[in-house]
Amino acid sequence: MTWETVIGLETHVQLSTKTKLFSRASTTFGKSPNTNVNLIDCGLPGVLPSVNKEAFYKAIRFGMAVGSKINQTSIFDRKNYFYADLPKGYQITQMDLPIVLGGKIDIETDSGIKTINITRAHLEEDAGKSIHDEFDGFSAIDLNRAGTPLLEIVSEPEISNAKEAVSYMKAMHQLVTFLDVSDGNMSQGSLRCDANVSIRKKGDSKLGTRTEIKNINSFKFIEKAINFEIKRQVQVLESGGNVIQETRLYDSYKDETRPMRSKEFANDYRYFPEPDLLPVVISDSEMQEIKDHFPELPKEKKARYQKEYGLAIYDAQIIASSKSMADFFDAAVQKTKNYILLSNWLIGEISAFLNKETIEINESKLSAENVAVLINRIDDQTISGKIAKSIFEEMCSSGESPDQIIESKGLKQITDDDSIEKVVDEVIANNPDQVEGYQSGKDKLLGFFVGQVMKETQGKANPQTVNKILKEKLTK
Amino acid sequence: MDQETVRTICYLARLEIDKDKAEKIENELEAIINLIGGLQAFDTENIEPLYSPLEQKAFKHEDIENSDNKKDEFLKNAAASNDDYFLVPRVVE
Amino acid sequence: MSIQYKTISQLREMIDAKSISSQELVKETLKLAESLKELNCFVTMNKDEGIKKAIEVDGTNTSNSLLKGIPLAQKDLFCTEGLRTTCSSKILADFVPPYTATAVEKLENAGSITIGKTNMDEFAMGSSNETSFFGNVHNPWKKGYVPGGSSGGSAAAVAAGIIPAATGTDTGGSIRQPAAHCGITGIKPTYGRVSRWGMIAFASSLDQAGPLARSAEDCAILLNEMSGYDPKDTTCLNVENTNLLQSINQPIKGLKIGIVKEFNLGDLKAEVQIRFEESKKIYESLGAEFVEISLPSISASVPTYYSIAPAECSSNLSRFDGVRFGYRAKDTDDLNDLYIKSRSEGFGDEVKRRILIGTYALSAGYYDAYYKKAQQVRRLIKNDFEVAFRSIDLIMTPTSPGTAFAFGSKGVQNPVELYLEDLFTISSNLAGLPAISIPHGKVNGLPVGLQLIGNFLKEDLLLNAAHIFQQNSEFHLERPSMEEF
Repeated sequence: MTWETVIGLETHVQLSTKTKLFSRASTTFGKSPNTNVNLIDCGLPGVLPSVNKEAFYKAIRFGMAVGSKINQTSIFDRKNYFYADLPKGYQITQMDLPIVLGGKIDIETDSGIKTINITRAHLEEDAGKSIHDEFDGFSAIDLNRAGTPLLEIVSEPEISNAKEAVSYMKAMHQLVTFLDVSDGNMSQGSLRCDANVSIRKKGDSKLGTRTEIKNINSFKFIEKAINFEIKRQVQVLESGGNVIQETRLYDSYKDETRPMRSKEFANDYRYFPEPDLLPVVISDSEMQEIKDHFPELPKEKKARYQKEYGLAIYDAQIIASSKSMADFFDAAVQKTKNYILLSNWLIGEISAFLNKETIEINESKLSAENVAVLINRIDDQTISGKIAKSIFEEMCSSGESPDQIIESKGLKQITDDDSIEKVVDEVIANNPDQVEGYQSGKDKLLGFFVGQVMKETQGKANPQTVNKILKEKLTK
Repeated sequence: MDQETVRTICYLARLEIDKDKAEKIENELEAIINLIGGLQAFDTENIEPLYSPLEQKAFKHEDIENSDNKKDEFLKNAAASNDDYFLVPRVVE
Repeated sequence: MSIQYKTISQLREMIDAKSISSQELVKETLKLAESLKELNCFVTMNKDEGIKKAIEVDGTNTSNSLLKGIPLAQKDLFCTEGLRTTCSSKILADFVPPYTATAVEKLENAGSITIGKTNMDEFAMGSSNETSFFGNVHNPWKKGYVPGGSSGGSAAAVAAGIIPAATGTDTGGSIRQPAAHCGITGIKPTYGRVSRWGMIAFASSLDQAGPLARSAEDCAILLNEMSGYDPKDTTCLNVENTNLLQSINQPIKGLKIGIVKEFNLGDLKAEVQIRFEESKKIYESLGAEFVEISLPSISASVPTYYSIAPAECSSNLSRFDGVRFGYRAKDTDDLNDLYIKSRSEGFGDEVKRRILIGTYALSAGYYDAYYKKAQQVRRLIKNDFEVAFRSIDLIMTPTSPGTAFAFGSKGVQNPVELYLEDLFTISSNLAGLPAISIPHGKVNGLPVGLQLIGNFLKEDLLLNAAHIFQQNSEFHLERPSMEEF
């Protein structure tokens, strides 16, 4: 029996607005509990929501980037249900008339580029957080997150396997970060997805019963959760059972999905238009403003890097594909003209370091200015490439500028002939056997002399000059 | 309104009716539903619903922080809380 | 000297002439309220803070507002920072809000002193003030009789002369009907005229705050201060507010007043009809012309309202879950049990009925037939008014088909009985139009009210027409004997 998988993803993107969707409380992550909570977010009696325009602008940017239809008039609806972290007993969301309809996103698959259609995207407020294990017998509620703007993006059920799902999420991540719609920080919950998974016999046109795996927040878990679920559903069907339509959670410790505790009654959300908010209208001039200030996307950056900075296609692609890396590059090129050297360092040493620490460049202590200065110092021969590497290490751990490090450690490259000549003379004088060896044809010994000179100068002598003077002096 | 429907809407609204009042309440609900059923007599074909008497668009505010947080007072009003959180009986997911 | 029954202008004169300080005035008011506490108008008194504020106000020199130093009462639906706000419900019996409603804040910024929170029907659901957790309010005209609702406490306190004015809220008639039953004046402004920030929501698209007082003039003074754009309320109108006192004395010659054919006034109790006809004659003598108008869908008002209001309230009241504030039941097994027990123990029967009906009207399979259908019929009703107002300036109706009644004598067997009494007031809430009730005599010794409905934003015309009537009649000057209290 060959089975095929049908997956639809609902991505919840936390928008990077400074304040919440319906209140002017801050959205800053990591604040102490219940401090980023305004009267409205607490759902106190008598409070009323008010619309944050920036949330709309970000949602529209997303819609424009994926080629969707923007509903310039959209409305909010109430989704009614009870849960401890839902202060009003309803969530304000968009049901019938969402801000974004349709659109498409290209993903990379093993067999080339595949286009996934987007059904819709709408704005809604996030709920608070419940902590279940910290206080004996109690669940604790923190409403800091309550009211944070979310863009819920629904894909058509066109994804065929776990790898494609990851590819879709990666493409989504890149898009929302480049658009400055979200910081995409999955560990902080800025990007989460619910996966709707069903299987059917290959060739069948009817969809199988689907289950929904909720709140997966890493690329790795998306792949594992979906693969587990596919296997589980296959087992159920092959043993003659039926897949139950239910909501499941992924347990990363056990690497399995299990059903969420649900009540006997299915939830009827009783959607109706939010009477405390009127229809939100985006004017034509607002739409134009958004178009005029559209951020540069990876494709455009790649082309620009090749054209303006002479980067090779491959290098341009790498730098352009990460928002933090691209932003870094864009800032650094303001301070240095050696674009190729800069890009080599970014792709080489710097990327290696970031990978090792598993951080983004904007999470490191490196600044674009400092890296630009480092490139300049190599370029103007203040330091050698080798010394630059050790300066770089210091920059990574201390965040100091290269000049500070060069100064404090006295790492300036020695380039003047006189100083180097003095050391060369000393080395030659101290190693007569090797001199003889070199002069009798053992060319490789040049390396020994270079090494000795470098040792005497703590690596600061300019290697080309050392080579030149050594050759001059040894060839007699 | 059959028993099943009453049970469902009671659960959705997180309300329970005392068994001794149940019949009376059901009759009252029945009477109110009959009242609002009278709407069916009105022809509303092609009529847009009027969700608010104001036919104006929503005001959109700037994305600028303005906190009116009163954490201690918020927590104080709760039946169970500690210095940082609202507390409820432990929920198992 | 007695402060009972003094108007705002009279009290203003006394304060300006320094024959009484605001502090003394507030103390006298509190004493008066205490002496009449059998009426049960108040849920919470604001004694210490009230006196403190009065002393402050006495200390300032500028006397730029008519309300400076004047004692007022606020319906217990408005959040008042630091002062208990209960909505006359057990579920909020100990709730102290951390903020103040805009409408109240504006009145207080104008210098008025809040002396207490008035009793009401629980969560504004009711038309007799018999659903309050804190007990019934007595109609000052007759002990053991209802004052009307839901702003029963405010109406009774004003009718008993304790304070010159109070705030109320009106979702289906809750300012106008108690004003009528208590022989005083009450106005519901255009929807959106007064900010709803801090006004605990019953039905969001219908609720509106307004004043109750013993004259149209005093209502105008309060409404002037209460009105105004508030960005915290998206459903607030961003329009310029005219001074309602400016045009209040305009002669009303040529005013066209519509009588609604479909209301079948001929079916009303004879005495109510007589009062209505007499008032018509007064208006005619002042130069008004009467025209018959048709509002073909008006008979749908009551079923429309009782689909929409419960639906919106069922959602608005979900926040009362015992988690962050309000009553929480003891000994609950889990979160769901906490919700069910807290809400079932905390809410009264009428509130529960309306939440259940509302939940039903919004539920899958019924939404189109009830909630959506009601909102469509609502548009028909609004359209009818729009058409009618092309040829008339105001519409006149009795406020209520009957007078106040004895406690427990109506709506007990069948709540619909009471709902049907809202037929004259409800349509203006559905259409968002302003409406006022003024006293125009008595039937069997109990007051009856005359209602005027105006077009969108025409509160000035309503108050003008009401004031001229009051300049040419004495109904609004009648006082209950109060000997039973």
